[in-house]
Amino acid sequence: MYDKYMQLTWNDAIQFLRGIGVTLSITLISLIIGTIIGAILGLVRCSKNKVVSSLPLILIEPLRNSPLVVQLFLIFYGLPMVTRIILEPYPAAIITLSLNTAAFFAVLVHSSIKAVPEMQWQAGYALGHDLKSTFIYIIFRQSLRILVPQAITLYISQLQCSSLVALIGLMDLTKTGELITLRTMKPFTVLGIVFLLYYFISTPLAKLAQKLEKRVGFSY
Amino acid sequence: MAMIEVKNITKSFGDLTVLKNFSVDFTQEGVTVLIGPSGTGKSTLLRCINGLEKIDDGDIIVDGLSVKEKKNLKHIRLACGMVFQQTVLFPHLNVMDNMILSPVKLLGMDKKDAQEKARYYLNKVGLSNKEKSMHNELSGGEQQRVAIARALILNPKALLLDEITSALDPEMSREVLFILENLAKEGVCMLVVTHEMSFARHVASRILFLDKGTLVCDEPKDRFFSVVRQENERISKFLQFIGE
Repeated sequence: MYDKYMQLTWNDAIQFLRGIGVTLSITLISLIIGTIIGAILGLVRCSKNKVVSSLPLILIEPLRNSPLVVQLFLIFYGLPMVTRIILEPYPAAIITLSLNTAAFFAVLVHSSIKAVPEMQWQAGYALGHDLKSTFIYIIFRQSLRILVPQAITLYISQLQCSSLVALIGLMDLTKTGELITLRTMKPFTVLGIVFLLYYFISTPLAKLAQKLEKRVGFSY
Repeated sequence: MAMIEVKNITKSFGDLTVLKNFSVDFTQEGVTVLIGPSGTGKSTLLRCINGLEKIDDGDIIVDGLSVKEKKNLKHIRLACGMVFQQTVLFPHLNVMDNMILSPVKLLGMDKKDAQEKARYYLNKVGLSNKEKSMHNELSGGEQQRVAIARALILNPKALLLDEITSALDPEMSREVLFILENLAKEGVCMLVVTHEMSFARHVASRILFLDKGTLVCDEPKDRFFSVVRQENERISKFLQFIGE
């Protein structure tokens, strides 16, 4: 009687697709927000003023040096306790992933700009460019050579890390797999499918990274 | 009226004073060669004129504008094109794009006009077949020649050349010096920091000798290599030391 209940069905395929949709949507939204915030923080880190350049560290260091799952729990479970702001799992997941992405992306932006040789700035100034013009036409394009491959690696990593949102009940791909496993009692099969689905989602990003690396690459 | 007036400038890096109460004028004529031992402020002087270094005291007036005012720096840098010892081409751009970046983005020149002008200057430095090359496809000498052409395309009133052959082997140095000789014959005003005495002998109209941040000697070339080197022991020793 329970045999049929424990079989994988087409409905499970639909559930997996929905799970993929949730995973991709929270990842994509978080990466966009995180990239924008991270870029701003990274640029501020490049300031020659020591006080100004240290300010983003207030956000960056705690977020980089603590587990993502703890950050997630703090926002989902901890925030209502201190602020009475109760977030649904979806926005809580996006806020957590966005901030986490921003912290790591800021470091990438800062280090990729600093990696451009100082003489490139001097050559820009010597030709009459000001700070803004030198950065936009000369430095930024060179910084992409380091930034792009590292950013794609970060994005792939955040896609994998998004699976933690299952812990706050969000029906992403991991949570979907967990529930189907509980029903079917086939952990290897079901989680094997989840594993492959994550692989197939991540692979295009990895291929994109290779293409972009070739486009922005050059040698000094 | 002098195009560049260096008025009593002092420049230090930490405890090291590189230029002390230094004054000199440059007109928009001829080739002035700056020579002297290393660390005597020759390169620092050029960088101060171009506004790449902030002077601690005194002032530099370039084309009527003070380098101490930030708003003047664009005009000053366009008036005094600078080429460095290390070749600093932009590695993400090919030669043509290196050449036209500033005319198009800074001066608002039409791209096609800028490309025409770039071809003219690339031809002048003997690199008309290299416009699509990336910087790592060029030899050191070719890179420096592109750097010179890139400075010239902005129609500077003077070129500031900071030991541009020091990092090159003798053959590449000769390529670059040949270009500079031709530019000098065409009347391009240049301030050149160099240890190439044969270049100074053939091309310079004026020689400045710097030592320990001060101007020891400022003479026309002929007088420098005949009378002054015999009268001044310091200069004589330096010239002997470098094999002149």
